[in-house]
Amino acid sequence: MPVRRLAFSTLAALLCFSASATEYPLQLHNCGYTLKFDKAPASAVTIGQAGTEMLYALGLGDKVAGTALWFNSVLPQFKAVNDKVTRLADNDPSFESVIGKRPALVVSQFEWMVGKEGVVGTREQFHDLRIATYAMPSDCEGKNNLSGSDGTRTTAYDVNALYKSVQQLAQIFDVEARGKALVDELTQRQAQAVAQLKSSKLQNVSAALWFSSADLAIDPYMAGQKGVAGYMMQTLGLRNIVTSAEEWPTVGWETIAKANPSILIIARMDRRRFPADDYRKKLEFLKNDPVTRHMDAVKNNRIVIVDADALQGSIRMVDGIEQIAQAALKLQAAAR
Amino acid sequence: MLRLILLISAALAALAVAILLGVAIGETRLSPSVVWQVLANQLAGAQYPVDPIDQGIVWNYRLARALVAASCGAGLAISGVILQSLLRNALAEPYLLGISAGASTGAVLVSVAGLGAGAISMTTGAFFGAVCAFALVALLAHAAGSGGLRNSAQIVLAGIAGSQLFNALTSLIITKSGSAEQARGIMFWMLGNLSGVRWSDTLLTTCIAVAGMAVCLWHARALDAFTFGSESAAALGVAVRRVQLVLLLVAALITAVMVSIVGAIGFVGLVIPHAARFMVGVRHRRLIPASALIGAVFLIAADVISRTLIPGQVLPIGVITALVGAPVFAGILLKGRGGRA
Repeated sequence: MPVRRLAFSTLAALLCFSASATEYPLQLHNCGYTLKFDKAPASAVTIGQAGTEMLYALGLGDKVAGTALWFNSVLPQFKAVNDKVTRLADNDPSFESVIGKRPALVVSQFEWMVGKEGVVGTREQFHDLRIATYAMPSDCEGKNNLSGSDGTRTTAYDVNALYKSVQQLAQIFDVEARGKALVDELTQRQAQAVAQLKSSKLQNVSAALWFSSADLAIDPYMAGQKGVAGYMMQTLGLRNIVTSAEEWPTVGWETIAKANPSILIIARMDRRRFPADDYRKKLEFLKNDPVTRHMDAVKNNRIVIVDADALQGSIRMVDGIEQIAQAALKLQAAAR
Repeated sequence: MLRLILLISAALAALAVAILLGVAIGETRLSPSVVWQVLANQLAGAQYPVDPIDQGIVWNYRLARALVAASCGAGLAISGVILQSLLRNALAEPYLLGISAGASTGAVLVSVAGLGAGAISMTTGAFFGAVCAFALVALLAHAAGSGGLRNSAQIVLAGIAGSQLFNALTSLIITKSGSAEQARGIMFWMLGNLSGVRWSDTLLTTCIAVAGMAVCLWHARALDAFTFGSESAAALGVAVRRVQLVLLLVAALITAVMVSIVGAIGFVGLVIPHAARFMVGVRHRRLIPASALIGAVFLIAADVISRTLIPGQVLPIGVITALVGAPVFAGILLKGRGGRA
């Protein structure tokens, strides 16, 4: 008995020494809940592409038992991993299809999926079945998802919420070193993009980001002040002309045209629900509408096209920041 | 005769004032002089130097929008008059024929279920949905026999059945592929939205409203006769079947076009005809133009309020029509208490 105990404590000491192995039982705070883990979860179901791809990026593809809520196709580097994982639903999965996978953990990107008024279920419903839930801090910290159509930010979004989710998931699954490496990479790339733009001395540039519209000429969904896309613009030193605190408020073209931003950012997506999902339709509208065609950004072709999934609190966000920074630099070069 | 001319000019003046207000008040603040200069440039060929964005906002956004609001208000009110008279039912309204429910189904088929993969606009989908629903309701009423279209109770019942069916379909499609953002796009539209209208819509809605009113005025006497029931109308020499069919089609067409362009704006078709009746009586020769005018002014006013009530945010116009319309109508009801035959 003493021998075994000794062996065990040596092992534990060794693991600790080899930097940041998770100590179980692990306890962590997640969006108003305290989560407890006695060991790394054996399997997980992810609802929302951000969580899915985050687990893949942490090398945890074999732990993912099912996925749901896909807006775009998976990142190419994860295609092989993803092909082996069951897709429970393209949109919201049913509660039973999730628990049918007997996951130890459910990772949910949005509170409107798993949360107080979640369409899949509440967190308590899962906890009652001894299934842990993890909600992405990007969606639930500093954001009231019960007010406004896509939730309303009470405090401005910050990329640290994204890093926190990477770190915490890495901790839960006992892969902290991989988590740290991923966060380091994301931090570095963002800092580089921001530094590039700062050094170019681009000043007092205003911007607006058009996500999509329910109908082509109807009031569009724009990036709000405090959301993820708002954060991206602010980080790059661009002033968002939309003042609403909602995540994706609808703003009239009259208001946008009068504000006359220096740069217009438009989202490109695979989804084809609304005609305006197609970025070419967006461009066509901007160039033909009797009012928007007189906007400075349209007249001087200062329109940046960014992938829609880079506008979420996900590991793709840095791609979006890089794309906008590159475009802004190019615009400046052209203006010279 | 002089009185008639005075009345007509007063009515047109009221409409013009409403439109002018609709043009002058909007999301952003434009000075009245800018608005005036744009109108002078466009209408009288003046050459004031105006910022092209301001010019576009006043002429292309706001004026087109005010005119669409006016013609929709008028069209929906006329449809309400037709249905209330033909069906002899005070609660009849344009959406009774399943048109709004069908339009919603068409719209969600396009925007949520992805029918047409982005090539068909929500408006087109809504129009076809509305027409299909009406066709179904009309067929059902006809097949139900015992006079079919002649029997107003059958139409009401068929309309209720049709509306329920299409509403269920809409819910089914939304739940089946639910994502908050899409459901939101639909909500936006179901409660009415005028933000997407441009001149091409204005032309269509104005023509439909004017033509609809002309047809109704042509049948004003027949509509008077229907107030006493279709038997009495037949006795008075009205070609009951033909007139009923023509007027129902007119009401359906007006509603389908309006709903497909601005969404399902409630309250106007139900309440404006009653309000007009209190003011000018039940004779259709006066009731129809009065309803059209009140509907037009009311919807422009509702649109202005929807843009200004909460700064920086445009409320769905359907919310305003009910929110403002209900108390106003309550007032009319109380004032006219006992005065109605």
